Amino acid sequence: MYQILVVDDDREIANAIEIYLSREGYKVLKAYDGEEALNIIKNNEIHLVILDVMMPKKDGIETLEEIRKTKTIPVIMLSAKSEDYDKIAGLDTGADDYITKPFNPLELIARVKSHLRRYVEFGNLDKKESKSLLKTGELEIDDEKKKVTVDGKEIKLTATEYHILKFLLENKGKVFSITQIYENVWNEESYGAENIIAVHIRHIREKIEINPKEPKYLKVIWGIGYKIEDIT
Amino acid sequence: MENLKKSTWTRVLCYILIPIFLIILILSVLNVAITSEYGDFNKNQDFVQTENFAMNYLYSIVTDIEYIKEYEKSNKSQSYGKYAEIEDSDYSEGRIYYESRNYNDTYIYNNIQYIIINKETNELYTNIRTKNYIQDIEDMKTKDIYWVYEDGNISTNIELMNQDNAKYLISDYQSMEEMQGYKVYTSFDMQALNSTNVFYIQQEVYNLFKGHENAPVYLIPISAICLIAMIIYLCISIGHEKGKEGIVLNGIDKFPYEILFTIISMIIGIVLSIGIAGIEVQIPQKMVISLFLLSYLGSYASGMVLFVTTVKRIKAKQFWKTFLIYKIYAWIKRSLKKSINAITDKTNSNRKIAILYWSFIIITSILISLSGSFFGFLLLIAFWILVFYEILQYNKKLKQIQDALMDIYQGKPDVHLDEEVLKGTLGKMAKYINDIAGGFHNAIEQSLKSERMKTELITNVSHDIKTPLTSIINYVDLLKKENIQDAKIEQYIAILDKKSQRLKKLIEDLVEASKVSSGNLKLNMEDINIKELIQQITGEFEDKFEKKNLKIDMNLAKESMIVKADTRYMYRIVENLFSNITKYALENTRVYIELKKYNERIYLTIKNISKDRLNITSEELMQRFVRGDKSRYTEGSGLGLSIAKSLTELQGGNFNIQIDGDLFKVEIIW
Repeated sequence: MYQILVVDDDREIANAIEIYLSREGYKVLKAYDGEEALNIIKNNEIHLVILDVMMPKKDGIETLEEIRKTKTIPVIMLSAKSEDYDKIAGLDTGADDYITKPFNPLELIARVKSHLRRYVEFGNLDKKESKSLLKTGELEIDDEKKKVTVDGKEIKLTATEYHILKFLLENKGKVFSITQIYENVWNEESYGAENIIAVHIRHIREKIEINPKEPKYLKVIWGIGYKIEDIT
Repeated sequence: MENLKKSTWTRVLCYILIPIFLIILILSVLNVAITSEYGDFNKNQDFVQTENFAMNYLYSIVTDIEYIKEYEKSNKSQSYGKYAEIEDSDYSEGRIYYESRNYNDTYIYNNIQYIIINKETNELYTNIRTKNYIQDIEDMKTKDIYWVYEDGNISTNIELMNQDNAKYLISDYQSMEEMQGYKVYTSFDMQALNSTNVFYIQQEVYNLFKGHENAPVYLIPISAICLIAMIIYLCISIGHEKGKEGIVLNGIDKFPYEILFTIISMIIGIVLSIGIAGIEVQIPQKMVISLFLLSYLGSYASGMVLFVTTVKRIKAKQFWKTFLIYKIYAWIKRSLKKSINAITDKTNSNRKIAILYWSFIIITSILISLSGSFFGFLLLIAFWILVFYEILQYNKKLKQIQDALMDIYQGKPDVHLDEEVLKGTLGKMAKYINDIAGGFHNAIEQSLKSERMKTELITNVSHDIKTPLTSIINYVDLLKKENIQDAKIEQYIAILDKKSQRLKKLIEDLVEASKVSSGNLKLNMEDINIKELIQQITGEFEDKFEKKNLKIDMNLAKESMIVKADTRYMYRIVENLFSNITKYALENTRVYIELKKYNERIYLTIKNISKDRLNITSEELMQRFVRGDKSRYTEGSGLGLSIAKSLTELQGGNFNIQIDGDLFKVEIIW
């Protein structure tokens, strides 16, 4: 059983998160400030930390710095600060994720699961590197089996969606416009059928991303095109 | 010392003493001169015994004889009409010629009486008018002083004029030889010394110095030193006045110098000549002395006035400036400068234009008159081209100013005109425009600053609201998942869920709207294809449109529509508009999306039919927190259009809304 530490000076929020996570079968420890959190981490085996930023005594960023001195466990920052530079500051300090308040409980749980899978099972994933395996972060396509997995969980895609995703993954990091995607996947010139591509891509995002509006893998660069993020 | 310098009394004393010392000096000098002329004063003899008297006496006689000779030589011409013939006399040997005294001829008038007879013609010349000349000749030798010359022999009662001495007294130019052929009888009445004549003046001067022959030895240096001292004192003192600093100039000191000099010189001349004239005009002897004195004092006073004012002017360093000539010169210089200034003065544009215009006319006229020759014609054309070029240059500068004003008018006060390049009137205009622009710039900076503070406040407050809101949303969500039997409670929870979600959206939009409207955004500009953007977002909204059964009628140009913008904010603009359509468009209608290029500008037009009546203006619609009427009760914050408009303008586009009945039309132009 995984132990998750929830750190938030707002006890009600910490309690709510505890309820959600308990339902998913996790053991939850709670701390209401940074120092308390560091103590718990020191004395307990913790697999994941959910860390508020604005806290008394020691704030989230300082606490994170302390944690990172000894631990590599996943840390999800949780904050009402939604500015870009707040997020960047958190991620730069060593957070694995950044969720803004008010958050969607389902999204939080999905992210917790994702990070735990990656962290706990990372060492055991001695999967054979087959030639047909395309991969970025925890998104994988096994072209032999035509199987798509995210965090080890299989995703069902239509044939068209699969081809589009495969094309993008094969060229991960590169940006393709709708027309380029169409021409490459269908191997023919597009005749005003581009809208369909945009719909397909939305569908793919909805399937592979925890929050399709803030995608981790399939990014939309508005007015330019789409790309699969190259995550090693 | 300073008191002495400014003492009026000392100065007045000087003015009084100077003429006294001056006359002493003059007389002393005269004394020396006269001593050498009159001979030895020690003899203490009468005036008539002096060499001077004897010399003048003889000179006068020889002069008379010379005249008579000339008269005879001219056959008694009328032009020598000093003599008039008379007859009623006892002298019968020859004609009698009487000298009617003509003062113009006798430059020295003395009272020597003479009778001169030409031995050849027996003609008699005289200045005495009597009946019996024979008797008079006899009587001559009984007079106070007489001198007779007969056949080379001189008989006289004055020792200096006797046979032995006379020839030495006659000057080099004359000689006793002149008298050969003439009998000369002369006499001098001592009485005559009391009337006005040359001998009288000479006698007075002689008497004045007689017995004082040693005086000049000490009088000359003393009076000279005193004079010099007083004049030096005056030179130092003149111009300073009690209670006043520096040199004080009066009315007369400002009078044109050369005119004053002429006037005073004339006064001195007149006064002196009056004094001298007194000698020649027969007036009582006492009066002559007083007249002389008066004329001396008058000349002195006039001379002193000139002296004082001259010294003052020099000391005040105004000497040349008080000359009329200088004033005229200065006036000419000033008016010349003034007129040159007027021509070159850049502030007086009317005059400048007038000068330029007339210069053009004149030069053109000259060149036209020369244009008979080929070269002249070329010159005319060249001149016209030059003038045209200059006008174009001027217009170019004017255009700069116009552009700057346009920028300010359009709210871009970041203009700076080069005041040096735009000279004259345009330069001044440029300066004013720069100042205005600076003022606007500051005002905008100020308002931006306050907007930024507002944004900061809103952002901070939003953090504080978000924390409790998180609890609300989470616990409502937890409630939802409880097994609730009561439909009523379920309904309440649904409302709570909906409203808390809306609150979340509101806060997010509020923060964004304040950021956007304050311009507090970091834009990451890159090339964006609007066409791609529209296609992407349409894809995102496809199912939402479908849900409301909205048909999308897309009319996109074939080519790419590239615009420099920030991809995220461009997405927000179009996303807001599409999201509005899903919220407010009437179901089962068509939505028109058109993208085209016209005049190098890109037009994105989105049209839809509103679900509710749009009974407000497009301007109101774009203001923050305003929505079309009933939409107030539905989802959305009312900030969507405002954010879209601000974001569009931040990225250099225009955002317009048109409402025509239920037709809602948005047009974005880049």
